[in-house]
Amino acid sequence: MRVPPAHRLIAGAVLGAALLAALPQSAQAPWSRAVAAVLWIPLWPITAPLSALRDAVRPPQVPYAALPEQLQEALEARDRVQGERDAALLRLREVETELAELTGFRPGRQDGWRPRLASVIARGVGRPAGLFRIDLGASQGVVAGDPVVVGGNRLVGRVAAGGEDARSLVVPLDDARIGRLDAIVAPAPDGAAAARPTVLVQLRAVRDGLLIGELESRDDIRAGDPVLLEDATWPAAARGMRVGTVERVGTLDSNPLRRRIDVRMDVDPARLGRVVVKVSGPGGTP
Amino acid sequence: MRWWIFLPVLAVVMAIDVAFMPALAIGRTSPALWPVLLGFVAMYASRESALLAGLATGALLDAASPGLSVSADGVQQAVPVFGPWMLGCTAGAWAVLELRGLLYRRNTATIAFAALVCAVVAGVAFLAVAGLRSAYADPAPLWGASGAGGALGRLLLGAGYAALLGLVPARGLHATLGAWDFATAGPRFGPGRA
Repeated sequence: MRVPPAHRLIAGAVLGAALLAALPQSAQAPWSRAVAAVLWIPLWPITAPLSALRDAVRPPQVPYAALPEQLQEALEARDRVQGERDAALLRLREVETELAELTGFRPGRQDGWRPRLASVIARGVGRPAGLFRIDLGASQGVVAGDPVVVGGNRLVGRVAAGGEDARSLVVPLDDARIGRLDAIVAPAPDGAAAARPTVLVQLRAVRDGLLIGELESRDDIRAGDPVLLEDATWPAAARGMRVGTVERVGTLDSNPLRRRIDVRMDVDPARLGRVVVKVSGPGGTP
Repeated sequence: MRWWIFLPVLAVVMAIDVAFMPALAIGRTSPALWPVLLGFVAMYASRESALLAGLATGALLDAASPGLSVSADGVQQAVPVFGPWMLGCTAGAWAVLELRGLLYRRNTATIAFAALVCAVVAGVAFLAVAGLRSAYADPAPLWGASGAGGALGRLLLGAGYAALLGLVPARGLHATLGAWDFATAGPRFGPGRA
């Protein structure tokens, strides 16, 4: 029996797809980025007006959206300063620890960064997770690992490697692939009561906008306490930025000496139209 | 099927899916138009054209949502992984091909149903391939956050939403049936070559 050429073509193409699907990422990485870029080159010009239309149809989530513009800007500036202050306090604590341990001279941190406004031009399609693409890339100084924030100090995620000259991919905090995050719970001041100490906690993403962590039962943490990033594997510009707010403190059946906290992100990464990248790379054109 | 019509339409549909469709999201469930287009093509095109259209759609989907790997120095790298959606969309198109003999064609609701079948089968096949890959090839499953059950639930919700929303573009696609030159659309709609 002779197999028609068209059937052979289909069988070969499906077999090729199956082989590709079986290849590990390391085997695809050398060429798949170039192929994906070529496939999407004709589509990028269409996505820009469609993104603008999306934002017009459904305005993106902006902190303090209901307030007048001037007040909104003032509050964002306040949050930015608050974020810088939190970061400075964390660095101060680190320096104090180093001095106390007399580990020797360390050069000062070079954590200069420049804010760059970016638009969200595309979201992942076909997969539930929410990597999204922004219109800033290596040519604007964006490098892998740069933190992405909104509203001054609310951390959204970080830039992944493998972007293009004028576009980058952002991994949001609530994508499990971002890995575990070291953070501190900085208790909100509650009037006359004595200040509560900060608590270190390791967080991992579980689902949309929700991260969970464990802490010891004696730690005094309450719902509403802000959670700040304090992770040495992130760039200095990300440290002290707000990861979210403690939503719930619950028991941990598997270990009565520890408790579980649920941390809700302050912003929904799926509803963002504009973000700020804290660009740390050298050079870059505006 | 006229490929010079299908490929530009596919490009526009994918651009709409990544850039505009989040505006219509309910919670985190965004609808997509690619199942509607692929379901429509699989309803009328020849078997070979429908399966190749599935591969082309899957290639663009794979290119649109890269996986993540971690380099030796701890930097997360976005790496497009070709294959899982290519197989998934081919499976989706095949499912519609098998069903189309039982369906009443030239009906808008039929295209929406075909889109539902296509999206569900493609999603399940994608999850199966991604699950197999996560056992040996990927540092984290390609579906990202949440477990496989959550990912499946979201894909099914997205498929239902896409089918519901697909009632509108399906009407427009039907109006252009003659231009596509489908193999099985009958003499009323064109010569029917491929």
